[in-house]
Amino acid sequence: MLSVKNISKSYVGHKALDNISIDIKKSSIFGLLGPNGAGKTSLIRIINQIINQDNGEIYLNGRPINYNDVRKIGYMPEERGLYKKMKVGDFLLFMGKLKGLNRNHCIDSAKHWFENLDVSNWWNKNIEDLSKGMSQKVQFISTVLHDPDLIILDEPFSGFDPVNANLVKSNLMRLKDEGKTIIFSTHRMESVDELCDQLAMINNSRKILDGDTEQIKMKYKSDNYLIVHDKKLKKDPTYSIVKTDKVSEGIYESEVDLMNKKSYKNLFKVISDYTQIISFKEKIPNMNDIFIMKVKEGGRDE
Amino acid sequence: MSKVWIIFEREYLQRVLKKSFILSTLLTPMIFPLFIFIAVLLIESDEQEIRRIPVLDNSGLIEDSVSFGNNSMYPSNSDINSLQEDVLNGKIYGVLVIPDIDIYKPDAINFYSKNVPSGDFVNDVENIIENKIKDRKIKDLKIEKSSLDKLETRIDMDTYSVEETSNSDGSEMGVNKSSSTLAFGLGYFNGFLIYMFVFIYGSFILQSVLDEKTSKVVEVIVSSVKPIQLMMGKVLGVGAVAFTQISIWIILGFSISTLTSLYFGIDTIDSSQIPVNQEEISQSKEMVAGFYELFSSIDVYKIIFIFLIYFTGGFFLYGAFFAAIGSAVDNLQDASQFTLPISLPIIASLMFMSVILENPESNASIFLSMFPFTSPILMMARLPFGVPDWQLLLSILLLLVFVLFALWFAGRIYRVGILTSGSKITYKLLWKWFVMKNY
Repeated sequence: MLSVKNISKSYVGHKALDNISIDIKKSSIFGLLGPNGAGKTSLIRIINQIINQDNGEIYLNGRPINYNDVRKIGYMPEERGLYKKMKVGDFLLFMGKLKGLNRNHCIDSAKHWFENLDVSNWWNKNIEDLSKGMSQKVQFISTVLHDPDLIILDEPFSGFDPVNANLVKSNLMRLKDEGKTIIFSTHRMESVDELCDQLAMINNSRKILDGDTEQIKMKYKSDNYLIVHDKKLKKDPTYSIVKTDKVSEGIYESEVDLMNKKSYKNLFKVISDYTQIISFKEKIPNMNDIFIMKVKEGGRDE
Repeated sequence: MSKVWIIFEREYLQRVLKKSFILSTLLTPMIFPLFIFIAVLLIESDEQEIRRIPVLDNSGLIEDSVSFGNNSMYPSNSDINSLQEDVLNGKIYGVLVIPDIDIYKPDAINFYSKNVPSGDFVNDVENIIENKIKDRKIKDLKIEKSSLDKLETRIDMDTYSVEETSNSDGSEMGVNKSSSTLAFGLGYFNGFLIYMFVFIYGSFILQSVLDEKTSKVVEVIVSSVKPIQLMMGKVLGVGAVAFTQISIWIILGFSISTLTSLYFGIDTIDSSQIPVNQEEISQSKEMVAGFYELFSSIDVYKIIFIFLIYFTGGFFLYGAFFAAIGSAVDNLQDASQFTLPISLPIIASLMFMSVILENPESNASIFLSMFPFTSPILMMARLPFGVPDWQLLLSILLLLVFVLFALWFAGRIYRVGILTSGSKITYKLLWKWFVMKNY
């Protein structure tokens, strides 16, 4: 649906993006990952045409993106805020009008989202009376008010408590199921594993990794297995024991590294000879591990 | 364009519907008369206390007590030391000492007081003594008082401005009674009004842009609106608020002046029934009538029309710069280093105003009323004295060009500024933003 092709951008004094290309499928959730200052926000601002790129193109549905497309994007920036002196309803009306909605449409849509996000009718509340979590919700509503096909969220979960973050996550999943495409950036990886279908990682203005979330995990797994068992593991030439923790009396958890690409069936057989296996699973790295590994790698490149 | 309108609408309604706006719009026109009223009250309350001034007269000029204003001078024989004590106690205001003087070559007279007397007081005393000496000279030279009185002449000059009349024959020149005092007052008033509005509403723009930047709402907005549209909507919105306020004041002014003229019109009929006050009333009626006659000599509508042009132009010119400053800085403290150079021409205009009013046709006046950074205030000051049409048009044209330039310039700073925070803003950096091609 959205293609970013060879985007570069420099500011006064430093390079923010260096030849970045990504492809985002329709009806998916795309995670844009990277440490602070990697260039995520610059890329998102370029997609939204808030700033212009030095080089490269953005394509939406196969043709260069134009200003009318941008207006239809639902964009929640990292630096977000509300007009403190306005009423919630007036603010939503104002934002809706900017997105081309008429008054009634705005009101209906806002009511719908008030229900979705578990809030009572805040239409006449003053924005300055809202708590931080409440204003984040209003912010989110103002982003999706006009039912956008493409939703871009920059660090969407900052400012939400875990309960509300989950509420937003489930709403994002629902929007995906309805056929919307969602891009979000984050430097917190825990939200990525469960949400993203695809992702790209940016570090020091360069893309260091991208693709399907599951495939990336498979690619970076290290043939390690986590085994819970009742007797201490013996040494064996086919594997090495990375560590063993005592879970409770007579129950241990060990991480085991298979040598020479041997099959896990062999490992299972060897161990189960002298100990009872309570659980046996392959250690799949989470995005956090991959992220830290890749960022460290990138650091070594410099 | 419709987006500019949405921004404009929000900005305008938010401000106009505020209680503080409604109150200040309605109350400000009353505050000035109130000030005058209070000042008059204070002056009147002053006059109740008579300041006593003994005179140690060695020339015999002051024979009886003389009163002027709230002062009373009387001849005294006390010695200077005890009087000095009285001065310090506040029993008497001061002591006037007149030495034994030669009336044809008078020495200075001396006044001793605790506080420094006002210039008016000094003039008054000097006049009194001069008149006393004059009287003595008349006696000494044996001049007839009556023939001297005949020598006294007083001439008032009425000034008229010459205009082409729209008479049917068209050949005749018409004249209108004019008043340089009125022109002076009107020029000062108009210039000052623009000065005030540019400053107050300019800082509103700065504040408003800065608020959006610090409350972080701006990026949400610029994802749907181009920065230049946002800036224009804002400047127009705040401008419209200023326009609304001044319009309400003009309308209030007109209704009040119409009401007063009606009031005095009715009063003349009534006054025949109340003979006691007749003289007083007819006097004030005459004064008001004279005032209205003078006012009718000036084309009020033309002045209001041109006022609104310069008002708008001056507002946009400075408003654009204030918007650019608001977008660049992170807080009000940082803003002050940039508002100062922008404010200088406005403050200078106010200082140049006296030059213009003293000498409305000097080269300096003509230049300053053309130069766009000073013309909104100074052309308005010059206008009541009469300005050739070509100068007026050229000045407006120049202002328009500069307004467009200022908006373009500010727009280029603004687009970068509103999304940049945390960097130390210097003129060099602003210049880099201005010339930056891709942002």
